[in-house]
Amino acid sequence: MSEVKKKRRFGLFRWIVLALILIGVYFAFIGPSIYRPVRPAVVLPPEAVWPGLNIFGIPLTNTMLATLIADLILILMALRVNRFVKSGEMVPSGVSNFFEAIFEFLWNAVDSATGKWARKVIPLVATIFLLIFVANMVKMIPGFESIGYLEQLHKGTGYAPVPLFSIFGRTVYTIDNAQPVKLAAEAAASQGSEPTPAEEEHELCSACQVIPFLRGSATDLNFTVALAVIAVLMTQVYGVMALGLGYFGKFFQFGRLVNGGIFGVIDFGVGILELILELAKILSFSFRLFGNVFGGAALLAIIGSLLPVVLPPGLYLFEMLFGIIQAYVFYLLATVFISMAAISHHSEETAEAHA
Amino acid sequence: MNDPQAFVTGLKLLGAGLAMLGAIGAGVGVGIAAAGGVQAMGRNPDAAPIIQTNMILGMAFAEAVAIYALAVALIIIFAAG
Repeated sequence: MSEVKKKRRFGLFRWIVLALILIGVYFAFIGPSIYRPVRPAVVLPPEAVWPGLNIFGIPLTNTMLATLIADLILILMALRVNRFVKSGEMVPSGVSNFFEAIFEFLWNAVDSATGKWARKVIPLVATIFLLIFVANMVKMIPGFESIGYLEQLHKGTGYAPVPLFSIFGRTVYTIDNAQPVKLAAEAAASQGSEPTPAEEEHELCSACQVIPFLRGSATDLNFTVALAVIAVLMTQVYGVMALGLGYFGKFFQFGRLVNGGIFGVIDFGVGILELILELAKILSFSFRLFGNVFGGAALLAIIGSLLPVVLPPGLYLFEMLFGIIQAYVFYLLATVFISMAAISHHSEETAEAHA
Repeated sequence: MNDPQAFVTGLKLLGAGLAMLGAIGAGVGVGIAAAGGVQAMGRNPDAAPIIQTNMILGMAFAEAVAIYALAVALIIIFAAG
């Protein structure tokens, strides 16, 4: 083995990598200033994809567009797998193989956690896992958070636009790192611009920032809160399916309050606390995913503007890892909460069924 | 100090930074969970899948504290007037 490796040591690959690094150094530090990255603006709420583009009165935001792309990829994958299943072959390949590996992994964990409820639980949790997973991977595509339209800033530091090239009679602009425009700052946190070229459609601005067309889905709290609310509500539904309406006895222990004496009062308080805990789950579910993905995106943008050459590839790898782990954690917690809801506190037979 | 609004903004950012002190506890907790998990897996490699699942679960719960701190920090920066 080592002999073969030694022969390949002076291959082409390393020179390509070295050339790419040198090109990166040239553009980031030596070359014309329009190629240099600028300080990014960290914006919490998602921006509209296009000014005035509304669907049913709601502006289409860039995170929604990214989620739609993730949905499209998932649907294509599902159609592919469906075709494979219909074909009746036994050995999957390509996308189907990948899907089978993921599904087997998910099924094993759900089966061991929820036992006889696994068949009913897996559609929900597997959907959540796949959506978060694909959305987090789609976020890594170059062009996300960097290509967009220019908008006039009202405070802080913007950058002057420079025409780059023309296509279909429209000019594509980039923003110039060497021409920062300081506006009469209202003492707010200074806002810079997104790092790369931008398309410009309406009249030019003097101090610009880029509003990206696409932004990672989970950098939007609406996405994560929606998933969290679905997960927690469905936990209650599975609880009722498993235990009947007696499931809510976990929260309102009136029986203990009436005949339990002083400890009955304590039990009643604990029940109310469990109800509050259910609401706290929504908070921790949504902020865990949002915090990780948003923090990662902000880190990538800021490191990319400070040291654009060596560090970002490693951080991208890190981000991919975290995208997978966060999807897994969301799915695992949802599974565990559902399995906990489906097990009664008092009845013995369900406990035995799970043992 | 001659620009009161800048002063308030500075204090806001300082407060957000202080709120993130909560991440210390979460970091220690996640580290302890990982150490325990790896030790257990070293002693009993056969049980690795179960240990891994529970380890990640524990890490997620420990991490939740840092997430709350992050939520508070974000609210201070972006939402608090």
